[in-house]
Amino acid sequence: MAGLVDRTPPIALNCLTNYSFLRGAAHPHELIETAVQLGYQALAITDECSVAGIVRAHVAARETPLKLLFGSEFQVPELGVCIVIACNRRGYAQLCQLITTARGRCPKGQYEVHVGDFMQHLDECLCLWRPLDNNAVQLHSKPLQQQFQKHGLWLAFSRHYQADDVERYRCYQQYQQQTGLPIVAACEVNYHTAARQPLHDVLTAIRLQQPLAKVRQELLPNQEFRLRDQQELAHCYPLAWRQAAVKVMNQCRFELSELRYEYPAELVPVGRTATDYLRELTYTGAAKRFPKGLRDDVKIKLEKELELIAQLGYEYFFLTIHDIVQYAQQRGILYQGRGSAANSVVCYCLHITAVNPDQIDVLFERFVSIERDEPPDIDVDFEHERREEIIQYIYQKYGRDRAALAATVICYRLRSAVRDVGKALGYSEQELRHYLSRIDRRDHDTPWQQQLQEQVPGLTETPRGRWLLELIEQIRGFPRHLSQHVGGFVIASRTLSELVPIENASMPERTVIQWDKDDIEALKLIKVDILALGMLTAIRKMLQLVHQHHGKSYQLATIPTEDPKVYKMLQKADSIGVFQIESRAQMNMLPRLKPRTFYDLVVQIAIVRPGPIQGDMVHPYLRRRAGIEPVTYPSPAVKQVLERTMGVPIFQEQVIKLAMVAAGFSGGEADHLRRAMANWKRSGKLKQFEDKLIDGMLQRGYELDFAQRIYHQICGFGEYGFPESHSASFANLAYASAWLKYYYPAAFYCALLNSLPMGFYSADQLIQDARRHDIAVLPADIQKSDWDHQLVPMQQQLGLRLGLRLVKGLREEEVRALLQQRPEAGFRSLEQLRELGLSASALQELAAADALQSVSGHRYQSQWQSLTLQVEQLPLFVGVDTTPTDLDTIAAPLECADIAADYRTMGVSVRRHPLALLREQGVLKGCKRASELALCRHQQVVQVVGFVTCRQRPGTSSGVTFLTLEDETGNMNIVIWLATARKFRQAYLTAQLLKVKGIVEIHGEVVHVIAGHLIDETERLSAFGLRSNRSRDFH
Amino acid sequence: MSARVNGWLYVHAPYLLLDEQLAAQAEAERQQPQVLLQQFGSTGPRVVQLNTAAQVAGIQRGMAMVTATTLVPNLICRDYHNNREQLLLQQLAQLLYQDVAQIALQPPQGLLFEVRSLLRLYGGWQALQKQLQQRLQEAPIRYYWASGYSPLAARLLAQAEVSVLSADPQVTTAALAQLPIQASGLENRAQQRLLDVGMTTLGSLLQRTNSALGARFGKDITHYLAELRGDFSPPQRYYRPPAQFYQRIDLLSEVEGWPQLVFALKRLLQHLEVFLQGRQLSTRSLRLQAYHRDQPSTVVEIHFAHAVWQQRDMLQLCQLHLERQVLPFPALELSIRARELETRQAHANSLLSEQQELPAVAALVSRIQARLGEQAIQVPEVQADWRPEYAHRVEPWNNDAHDKPMPELERSPRRPLWLLPQAQPIDRRQWQLHWGPERLQSGWWDDEPCVRDYFIAVDSSQRQGWIYHDQQGWFLHGWFS
Repeated sequence: MAGLVDRTPPIALNCLTNYSFLRGAAHPHELIETAVQLGYQALAITDECSVAGIVRAHVAARETPLKLLFGSEFQVPELGVCIVIACNRRGYAQLCQLITTARGRCPKGQYEVHVGDFMQHLDECLCLWRPLDNNAVQLHSKPLQQQFQKHGLWLAFSRHYQADDVERYRCYQQYQQQTGLPIVAACEVNYHTAARQPLHDVLTAIRLQQPLAKVRQELLPNQEFRLRDQQELAHCYPLAWRQAAVKVMNQCRFELSELRYEYPAELVPVGRTATDYLRELTYTGAAKRFPKGLRDDVKIKLEKELELIAQLGYEYFFLTIHDIVQYAQQRGILYQGRGSAANSVVCYCLHITAVNPDQIDVLFERFVSIERDEPPDIDVDFEHERREEIIQYIYQKYGRDRAALAATVICYRLRSAVRDVGKALGYSEQELRHYLSRIDRRDHDTPWQQQLQEQVPGLTETPRGRWLLELIEQIRGFPRHLSQHVGGFVIASRTLSELVPIENASMPERTVIQWDKDDIEALKLIKVDILALGMLTAIRKMLQLVHQHHGKSYQLATIPTEDPKVYKMLQKADSIGVFQIESRAQMNMLPRLKPRTFYDLVVQIAIVRPGPIQGDMVHPYLRRRAGIEPVTYPSPAVKQVLERTMGVPIFQEQVIKLAMVAAGFSGGEADHLRRAMANWKRSGKLKQFEDKLIDGMLQRGYELDFAQRIYHQICGFGEYGFPESHSASFANLAYASAWLKYYYPAAFYCALLNSLPMGFYSADQLIQDARRHDIAVLPADIQKSDWDHQLVPMQQQLGLRLGLRLVKGLREEEVRALLQQRPEAGFRSLEQLRELGLSASALQELAAADALQSVSGHRYQSQWQSLTLQVEQLPLFVGVDTTPTDLDTIAAPLECADIAADYRTMGVSVRRHPLALLREQGVLKGCKRASELALCRHQQVVQVVGFVTCRQRPGTSSGVTFLTLEDETGNMNIVIWLATARKFRQAYLTAQLLKVKGIVEIHGEVVHVIAGHLIDETERLSAFGLRSNRSRDFH
Repeated sequence: MSARVNGWLYVHAPYLLLDEQLAAQAEAERQQPQVLLQQFGSTGPRVVQLNTAAQVAGIQRGMAMVTATTLVPNLICRDYHNNREQLLLQQLAQLLYQDVAQIALQPPQGLLFEVRSLLRLYGGWQALQKQLQQRLQEAPIRYYWASGYSPLAARLLAQAEVSVLSADPQVTTAALAQLPIQASGLENRAQQRLLDVGMTTLGSLLQRTNSALGARFGKDITHYLAELRGDFSPPQRYYRPPAQFYQRIDLLSEVEGWPQLVFALKRLLQHLEVFLQGRQLSTRSLRLQAYHRDQPSTVVEIHFAHAVWQQRDMLQLCQLHLERQVLPFPALELSIRARELETRQAHANSLLSEQQELPAVAALVSRIQARLGEQAIQVPEVQADWRPEYAHRVEPWNNDAHDKPMPELERSPRRPLWLLPQAQPIDRRQWQLHWGPERLQSGWWDDEPCVRDYFIAVDSSQRQGWIYHDQQGWFLHGWFS
């Protein structure tokens, strides 16, 4: 068997990547890199019933001499292992179809094939066969040979120095004699280097869900399942068999770059060109958007964009999105486009976005660019309650065989890696939990291994502990399974499964393709992101209420812009419920940044992000804005990029552009930089840009200090950089919701409450805010309430009547059916409610929520009565008022018991705030109310008390944490230094009602209390039964 | 209902498992804050038992582990094991069985005593209480106890951690009336409905008439009240002491050798003595079993020349025996089993009759072992491991193991019947390779990896051997014939 030294190039025909989940132990690019080093001529990527890894392999192999073959391995019950490889584009489509069929038969993650699947529709593929046994050869070799006659069928022999090598060798020779089929050398490659054997063994254990010690029998015996060099191969296989591999390679002439995306053609009327049609639609839209006619500069811009679109052939992309948003418009579904291409005049005219280019004309820079030749990016957000309608429309219009969701590759992260590897190595759940708890994942400066070694000193003293650390690091980033992307649709002109296999998602009736968004981008396919956004639902409901109660009809695009009163409100951080700028961090920023224009909002949204914060851009920006620090630019070119943000880079686009103008990056290089930024922590690829960036800037005459700062900022941006184009679209919704809050507050709160769950605040917090804005909030009442909250006219203004949707445990249909039958004069008795079909349990929930007050008295009385009505009434007695047999009267609840029951049954109460009661009882003596803090002297010593509504997880590195306290007048920001937090650890971590003694700090509109003393006052709540945790912990 | 008598006693030990573990710890360790955790749904583990140090640090039952460990960073956390606690509950029953005949186990943490008849025996509650108190001091547990005129009344009070021991039913009723509805033991939904009508204590419930309650809360509540008042008593299943003794304890940390196990052994033997004493039994053999991580357990059979029952005797003999033994791996748990028990009067004077009860093989084995030491008899076993040295091993004789199925042999590659204990260096030139190589590279996990190419080869005398080649050269590892 030993071969002579010869020059037959090494070829691997059966490589599994880690996209054969828990089987392959190498990333696609690792296989490619090693193959190139070893002088391989070709590699066949043949993941098991999958092509999920081929795009990554293709990208890695693009600039190498290596030839890639694309195929897939199948375990066929009757046949053994079949490796099907595509010989041309047609064959690739056949392979994708086969995978689609096999995956379609099974739930997510599994597949099923039969011998029959290999007997048809694979004529443009070739097949390498590892027969199950002699019987399979006897039965199936003839028909298989027939099927693969055009490109060939081989017996795939692999040798990995196993005990049965000789036996199999003889068998294959025998098969060959029997059938005349050629034998080809086809190593089973499961990883690229021998060093991956431990990881492969661990993956096997994870796959079998047993510790390693129990599955040793299933492990491969040696490290031969790697990419072996030419000499080793020559030692394993006869020359002829290796030469057969060359033949196999030569049969395959398919390149992934051949895949051309074809747009759905039906969007353009017969006889028209896409360019024409898009132009027509754009100008029709322009007439509506600009009723006074297009300004010259806008028209020039529009023409430039249309020209660019035509040049790159992206008309269909815009037409596709236009078609979808048209449908949304018809159905009255609110939407908003965002993304690099969204903020263009074309998109504004096509009604894809409502961001008026008059307001923000600087954004077009990152429009579709020729040099980058990347597909345009538009995400469309729809109302979260109605996105499904859009998805169904797409499926209906294009068919399920032409439209599918992109996949998201779920990868091992630290937590899952620790668990899976740990279990495989025999650690108990408890130990692993302990280790995980010792790692502070927000401590970015100390690698997790070092943290663990410091915290668990004995860990690395055993080989097992050392392997744990080593293998966790190796497995991190390994794909684990495919999930569905949040809303990225790929729509094809013909059957999608000729482009990429489709498989079942875990959600019923959903299918996903085997590629994720990076794959799609790499192949320049087009995807349309159909996303869900709660605020759009809320805004649509707000606009409806405004129309209904004020007779004014507004649309997103017609809301008056740049209203100073609205900005004044925001400058006071009065932004609860306003899109994007309602969080604690955003509210802290508002009085500092003091937004005065739309563009300020764009900045505000982007600046309160980890990226700018880590890159230390916030303070320079604020200082420059306040005029404390001069705005300077190192050069006119840089000035052009950074002028709109006062010389401080805030958006991702600016960083990219900076690399181009200041360091001389080409468009392509800048794009690489952007990708590297996205995951530099994991890949460490950003480092390679450091020298280039700094050298580039030095050459162009910039100071080293400036260059290093820019690089530092890029690192800080990392995964969190926020694109200006997205920020602008968000700012539009932020402004719209703020405008509605200012002018129509009742409609604003009512619609928000009717759109929950969404946003940052609970119904309780929203209702409190509404009451602070002098809106009367009326309790849920079976005689007056609807399912939804509604606006009711009161003497002065509109009031808010709470809906029954708040009451926990009620079914919407049941309540709606009852309310339809509500008599003009209201219900007379609980019996009547039952007779009208209300279930006993719903009646009890209503009683518990005190919604039956006007029918049967207070909640205890109502419940006492409702509980007698549990048995279904006999039809005979329907309509006959039965007098209650039991005339017990029940004592009314105390106010605090009522409040507690309100919170338990509805999560809100329109009664007094518990703190108001406590204050009345005199137990909060000497404590300031939230509303009084602003009137204090700066640095005055104060005491405050309130519910803990937001508790930041104690940090290790920063040393300061924040807490939000709520009392009956509002929220208070408490700043806690690490030493204080440690000293009062228990109160800090667990108190629900907290008293803080400290010093008030007032800077303009910004008021903080610096805590000195924390006292847990939770015991005072026992009368309220408020033991449930209302706090948002650790966000 | 004037005829009510407080004839029931309930002992509730909310930290049963943890208390037992604490007892096995050294004083310094016991002072460390420590908790037991249990997983509830998907919300992550929560604290179910805790020691005083943990309580002092602000940890509460039901607290999420995340919060607890943030509160006390060096908190010692272990998982709660229900089945271990059940064994402990039986042990506790065993202990108290010396004083009370009618004990019903109330898992997970309670014991119910029927004491009506005992009251007469002891002459009242005070004396009984004193006796039980003394007995309970032998168990290292924190507990609450309450008397009652019904099992339910006693249980609710004890579980609410109200210790009321009184002969007076009125005291019991008054204490019950104070209990919040949450301590009623009723299912959550029923509790909620009671709260919905403003009934916050058991007292408010007891005030209402049966008919008013029945009309609203159904038969369950009237039933419940009847049970509480003692008008109706569900039948109790009383504890029966087991016929043989078995106990297993968690050592809480890895213990390296037999000498360090003596402390735990002492405790086990103490329990055994209580067990034997309660039944007037003695034993002639013990079986100690030490459990290891990832390794089969180590078994030591200890035979005594004459029947024993006192801890002191048994300990002495065990220690003598263990001096000869080596613990192969660190132990995590230790168990003791005494199966063949005899009554103390009937001294076994007929060896023959005793042996007839043993299976023939076991009897033979035990006799050989008695002569040659217990490691003298070993049994080969197949192990799944590619490394030949690990592919089979000899196990000490284990009475339970000999009907264990053998691992599948069909898939195993060709291996020599006779594997040399130590591979012998050979001169390659003396051997003719017939088959190979089979490359074995495995065992990275315990730092004894093997990297060898195996061949089947024939030596000059035509004997078929299994030889390998590695970095050190050529070796003979086994013979096929």
